[in-house]
Amino acid sequence: MPVAEILQVAAGGLLMGLIYALVAAGLSLIFGLMDVVNFAHGELMMLAMYAVFAIWQLTGADPLLLLPVVAVLLFGLGMAIYRGLIARALSVQFNRGMVQIFVTFGLAIFIRGAAQFVWGGEFRSVTGHWLADRSLNLGGVFLPLPQVAASLVCLAAFAGLLMVSRTEFGKALEATREDRDAVALIGIDRDRIFAMGWGLGAGAVGIAGVMLAGFYYVGPNVGASFAVIAYVTVALGGFGSMLGALVAGVLIGEVEAFTAALWEPSLKQVGVFAVYLLVLTFRPRGLFGKM
Amino acid sequence: MLTMQDVAASYRGLKALQGISLEVGRGEIVAVVGANGAGKSTLLKAIAGQVATEGTILFDGASLAGVPPHMIARRGVGLVPEGRKLFPRLTVEDNLRLGAYAKRGDPNRFAPLELVFQLFPRLAERLSQRAETLSGGEQQMLAIGRALMTQPRLLMLDEPSQGIMPKLVDDILAAVSRIRDLGVTVLLVEQRLVEALEIADRAYVLQTGRIVMQGAAKDIAADGAVRRAYLGM
Repeated sequence: MPVAEILQVAAGGLLMGLIYALVAAGLSLIFGLMDVVNFAHGELMMLAMYAVFAIWQLTGADPLLLLPVVAVLLFGLGMAIYRGLIARALSVQFNRGMVQIFVTFGLAIFIRGAAQFVWGGEFRSVTGHWLADRSLNLGGVFLPLPQVAASLVCLAAFAGLLMVSRTEFGKALEATREDRDAVALIGIDRDRIFAMGWGLGAGAVGIAGVMLAGFYYVGPNVGASFAVIAYVTVALGGFGSMLGALVAGVLIGEVEAFTAALWEPSLKQVGVFAVYLLVLTFRPRGLFGKM
Repeated sequence: MLTMQDVAASYRGLKALQGISLEVGRGEIVAVVGANGAGKSTLLKAIAGQVATEGTILFDGASLAGVPPHMIARRGVGLVPEGRKLFPRLTVEDNLRLGAYAKRGDPNRFAPLELVFQLFPRLAERLSQRAETLSGGEQQMLAIGRALMTQPRLLMLDEPSQGIMPKLVDDILAAVSRIRDLGVTVLLVEQRLVEALEIADRAYVLQTGRIVMQGAAKDIAADGAVRRAYLGM
């Protein structure tokens, strides 16, 4: 493989990996905060993509301009899901673990069905926007602009999450994650913190979805394929670790890109899942996991 | 300040408290003593809203029934729980400052820091250390400090002497005494009978979930029969 081609594959892996990282960060944030795996995480991303598609179709607005709008929408949706479903599911007396799995899994199926009902099963795409079909040529390495923009926005979102973690609210979030009962002793409403956590997690995956819609097809099942990669990313990075999600997302992006380039594009996920099996066998807590 | 009338509570399916009637007046140190498993911790948890109760619990005349735990804390009931329940990976400073989290918007909310450092100068030396790296005694100081940051009017302490070096026990209890002198009412649960009764004004003796004796702390301390019968000493 010539150097130029290696660089090209690596760049592609990096751009995709940063998106994987942000999707995983949202999942990891919620899991780390309250030990709930959100099986509807991919569907939240899918909703963000459809939101972009629908508003674009209606108004012709550029996806990049829709970023703040959809991010706020998803933040609100995440909070609503916590208040309406998760808080209730967590208040059951028996089999709490099972209940929360079925609730988020059921939500995923519901959202997927609803999307199919509203927008149909066919693939859609957002075309003709500002960055579409433009690319950057870095000494022979070819970088499509929509993906460059997506990865930069994802990095910025990571920086945003990091800044939030340094605020007083971020400390309260960390305290709630460490001892959800003790925070009540100092007057902190953990339900509010949990709801904010869901808002942030959904907002993060929403941002990834908006940027993805600039160059990726939109369909009812698009979330599922990204969610599977997100679970692998979170496991590799370590449950609950933001830095882990970032490093693991990029790693997964690279593994996928090189599997596709060296072997066979249709088998790109084989490399990803091989990594997953290795992690589970040799380091079940992941690269940056605390437990 | 705190009134309990005929309070019952179950903990993990077992009746842990029955017919508890208890009074804590403003500015008092009231001790609740009793053997292991007598229900002392459950009593504090009942007041803090952490276990379901029947009966009446009034704080400053207002019922605490159905009030969620974080709102009870905001009303001015501080609890230093059994096992301290610090945030282990956060620093000493973050643990303390979070005590004032619910008072965001109040510019003076960090004012009690000064008092905390006066009571426990060691905490001031360890501000940037993670809570989990502190010794048992220092962790207890931090737990009390964190509770003081919420500016409680009633401070409840659950076995503050547990798991700390004997020579620090006196320091901690002396600090509790000073906290009362600063105007905070104290409800103290302790297994160390002698030390607790030394600083308390009044005391209740708890046995298998019931109050079996109450009175001035010095009378209870002097009553040899009480000590043998109810406290196994």
